[in-house]
Amino acid sequence: MTTSTSLLYWRIQNVRNRGLWWLFAVVAAFIALYVYLFPGLLSTGGISKFSQNWFPLALVSMAQAVLMLAGGISLSIGATVSLGGVIAATLLAGPLGVAGGSAVVLLVGAATGLASGWIVVRLGLPAIVVTLAASFIIAGWALLIMPRPGGAVPAWFSDLLAGNTPVALGLLVLVVLLWKLYLATPLGLSLYAAGENPVGAYRSGAPVDLSRIAAYGLSGLLCAAAGLFVAAQTGAGDPVIGNAFTLNSIAAAVLGGVGFLGGRGTMRGALAGSLLLSIMISVMFFLGLPPVAQYVAQGLIIVVAVALPEIAAMRRPRT
Amino acid sequence: MTSPTERFAAARWQAVLRSRPMLTVAMVALAWIGASFFQPGFGGWRHLRYLLELAAIVGLVSIGQTLVVVAGGIDLSVGAIVTVSAIGVPLVTWLADPTGTAPALFILLCATLIGALNGLGIALLRVHPMIMTLAMATFLQGVLILIAGGSAISAQNAVLSWLGNARPGGISASVLLWLLASAIALWLLHKTPFGARLFALGTNPLATSLSGIGVRSTTIAVYAISGFTAGLAGALVLGVNGQGYVGIGDSYLLASIASVVLGGTSILGGRGTYAGTIPGAILLVTITALITMLNASAGWRNILFGTLIMALLLLSGRERQRR
Amino acid sequence: MTQDAIVAARSISRSFFSNRVLNDVSITLRAGTIHALLGENGAGKSTLIGILSGALAPDAGDIDIDGVRHAAVRPAIARAAGIAVVQQELSLTSQLSIAENVGMGALPRRLGLIDYSALMRRAHEVCALVGLEQDLARPVGDLPLGQQQLVEIAKALFRKPRVLILDEPTSSLSAHEAANLMAVLRRLRDAGTAVLYISHRLNEVLALCEWVTVLKDGVVTADRSLGGVDAQGLVRLMVGREPGDLFPRWTPSAEPAPIIAVEGLSAGMVRDVAMTIRRGEVLGVGGLVGQGQEDLLLGLYGAIPAVAGRAEFNGVVGLPRSVPQANARGLAYVPADRKREGLHLIHSIAWNLMIPSFGRAPSLAMRRTASERERAIALADRLGIKGDLTREVQALSGGNQQKVALAKWLPSDPPVLLLNDPTRGVDVDTKREIYALLRRFAAEGRAVVLLSSDTPELVNLCDRVAVMRAGRLVRVLERTELSEEAIVSAAMESAVPGAAA
Repeated sequence: MTTSTSLLYWRIQNVRNRGLWWLFAVVAAFIALYVYLFPGLLSTGGISKFSQNWFPLALVSMAQAVLMLAGGISLSIGATVSLGGVIAATLLAGPLGVAGGSAVVLLVGAATGLASGWIVVRLGLPAIVVTLAASFIIAGWALLIMPRPGGAVPAWFSDLLAGNTPVALGLLVLVVLLWKLYLATPLGLSLYAAGENPVGAYRSGAPVDLSRIAAYGLSGLLCAAAGLFVAAQTGAGDPVIGNAFTLNSIAAAVLGGVGFLGGRGTMRGALAGSLLLSIMISVMFFLGLPPVAQYVAQGLIIVVAVALPEIAAMRRPRT
Repeated sequence: MTSPTERFAAARWQAVLRSRPMLTVAMVALAWIGASFFQPGFGGWRHLRYLLELAAIVGLVSIGQTLVVVAGGIDLSVGAIVTVSAIGVPLVTWLADPTGTAPALFILLCATLIGALNGLGIALLRVHPMIMTLAMATFLQGVLILIAGGSAISAQNAVLSWLGNARPGGISASVLLWLLASAIALWLLHKTPFGARLFALGTNPLATSLSGIGVRSTTIAVYAISGFTAGLAGALVLGVNGQGYVGIGDSYLLASIASVVLGGTSILGGRGTYAGTIPGAILLVTITALITMLNASAGWRNILFGTLIMALLLLSGRERQRR
Repeated sequence: MTQDAIVAARSISRSFFSNRVLNDVSITLRAGTIHALLGENGAGKSTLIGILSGALAPDAGDIDIDGVRHAAVRPAIARAAGIAVVQQELSLTSQLSIAENVGMGALPRRLGLIDYSALMRRAHEVCALVGLEQDLARPVGDLPLGQQQLVEIAKALFRKPRVLILDEPTSSLSAHEAANLMAVLRRLRDAGTAVLYISHRLNEVLALCEWVTVLKDGVVTADRSLGGVDAQGLVRLMVGREPGDLFPRWTPSAEPAPIIAVEGLSAGMVRDVAMTIRRGEVLGVGGLVGQGQEDLLLGLYGAIPAVAGRAEFNGVVGLPRSVPQANARGLAYVPADRKREGLHLIHSIAWNLMIPSFGRAPSLAMRRTASERERAIALADRLGIKGDLTREVQALSGGNQQKVALAKWLPSDPPVLLLNDPTRGVDVDTKREIYALLRRFAAEGRAVVLLSSDTPELVNLCDRVAVMRAGRLVRVLERTELSEEAIVSAAMESAVPGAAA
């Protein structure tokens, strides 16, 4: 109570960085290493290319983190990305145009998320199985729309998003700002309460069910946006292109300190985790390791990142 | 002293008929009878036998998955382990043995050890099962590509080809293997203290550990078993196809989870039986066959699977209230 | 006085799994009154609060709020009527700041966004009121338990309640914080708030409250003014029987040689404890809540990491390193939180009774249904667990659940029983049975360690009582010196205010 009242929000924000400094430091170290290996990164083109590689991973990591914060999880992230991609590749060059097509993509993503969320929350079914089943249905839908890679995205749109300008970085900043805005609403803030202590939050009158369903909707929206971007990046749709994102989104969130039990972690942590993952892949590429070595490294890194706190805790007696 | 009949209400036959495994059996029967009407060849002995051969592989993978899920975990590395086994056997032909038994046994040992490694990470490092096994799957995928590259590897392995293709007395060897493995799995789950420990662990790990049950050893053992059965399934895949390639096992991951869920085992652990997973696996391959027969696309197959899992989940209201 | 009634509940009944917790209970909360609700553990107080605040629906009865009749109060109705509850179980989110927690569910907003400056102002007000002097941006998870309790109270006050229900609000507060809370409650009463106050601290109740409702086994046994009632009178209202009735008569049966002897034991909160446990005795472990008693039992049981200078268990030197090892040396542990730590709720009684033997038996030994059933029936008969043993344990009453949690250990005939508050939330009849059982165990030559938060239990049942404070064993009282006063004064001895937090 030493500072003036209007600063409360910013001080809360600052406190949330606590415990993430080590992660930020590791990310910074990797960025430095990357710049050392590849000085071209510091040009506009370099930043553009890098942020384009990072952008979809950042979006799906946010999509996973928002659910994990709400005490859920999604195994249908990858399928939703694919669905978003194939719808984009079908519609963007059609009569709806880029704006109309993109709107449909985002709406479909949000709708699939809301549907899963409604089933999980209102019918009280386990999130893992519901999203697993949803991933089958969504992946099937994507295959129906486009059995094999194809479709098209207008070239100017691809150039805009994935050209030599850091538009992706700007979009990411926009998404993060929108997220901050959402967290500053009562509904958004309730997410943490609903994830960590749903009974207590319900007793307090916080909109527990609504905030959890909304989290699923947001998650689907973010996945579809990632799919839209990937389609623009590759210039086409691919019904299975998103598969790897399910695991990577969980990996990034866990690396960023988001817990499985709900209410633990921060979105900035998840974003840092996704950045770390993205840079590591790039660095390994530049070190001349075969692309597949990243799988090996990724598997090891995830286990170590999750196990480290536990190993540290084993040395302390329980309190 | 009260009498046993007073203390143990007799299980009614109606209750058995209404149980989840029976529901799944009924659905299989319905699917087979229905399909036979529309497609004369479907109900034929050869075709059903073929379906059972396909189900045997899924069923073997699902043994480990069922036990792991009953114990409150999940194994997302079974697909990768199937691939390890299908690719690994041709790679270790230096273990010279004309019958091919030595390479097969060696790879089964490897698969079991991989599973045990999962268990070690989960039990000792307390890594969440989903993360541990996903990470293991990613790791294995990388290693496999590094070793085997992108091309298919063929193998001449007498034992496995026999298992994959022989039909002694008209019954497929793979189905016989599945029957044997199923009997062992059911015995293990329902008739041994080890099986009871799995149920206890899946219901309430804290109470289980305070009751003097070795939670760590049980966890390591159950993931090792899962590695073993996935490895066995992989060997069978190699026997049937004659070759292995990276990605050959991928489809068995979701199939195993789907069979477990279709069979009525609670994904939250503590409840379930392999007796449900058996018809679950058969139902799964039957639906796949039906869709192929109707010439429907892979997309429809996925949608149907997803809807089926969701519908069965909704039917079993038991899952509610337990998060 | 009736026209002041804000909430009037009439003839409320409620059962859980055919176990009747409230039976025809009526209670009226009036403006400007501090009303005490008393009763032993398991008397039905929490259920009644749940019904008044809308968290639970009654099976029968109705509730008037401001003269409007409701068959069941929904949480939204309760909130709209200004009913705020401070539960024992905290409703906080550890990662959010104090201010956000205080406002959760009633956050002030501007243009759809949370109005952080209004939140800061109003949260500051209520936090100052309850005496919580902390940076409001701090995450609640950083605070010690006592201060989290204050946040919980501030959260209730933030809603400017007309009816404030507090369930054991002082259990983890220091003396200073508790006194401050009393003053706040008096001020609220004078401003016309109706307060329902639940506490085990009778002197608090006598000093603060005007009216009392007493619950015993789900029935109202008294609903009267507190004028002219003293502490003994309150106890009589709650217990309604002489304590001699509840406890068995027993003669000491302790053997001189210890079965367990430890020196310099540290585990969790426990620091440097030396103690002996003898066959044939009931050794009580007492003290204020959370002074390391549970960690002492878990450390002896091998369930948490522990170190000791010297230890001997049943002839074996050294501490057990794991639970199975402790079991092998003849130790058994019955946890306090049966549902989370003791039982497998979705499985049958018979199956639960067999669990320790599943741990002991060789992994691949064949299970024999017939012999399992025989053993289960014998155990059930021995502890008086009635009815069909294929029922799920979650369908049983608290008392019967406790019997199952205890009975499952008997097949291995453990010479040492570690019991963590075995009568918590158990009905009176089962309590009496458990007490008799404990003395019978001792008479059979077992060592019984009884951790209890119920002081009369310790006085009337134990050969010796070890009193703990801040992780250390401060006193071992022999039977000749045992009394409630002796235990309480040992527990509080030169206690620093706030040490409990």
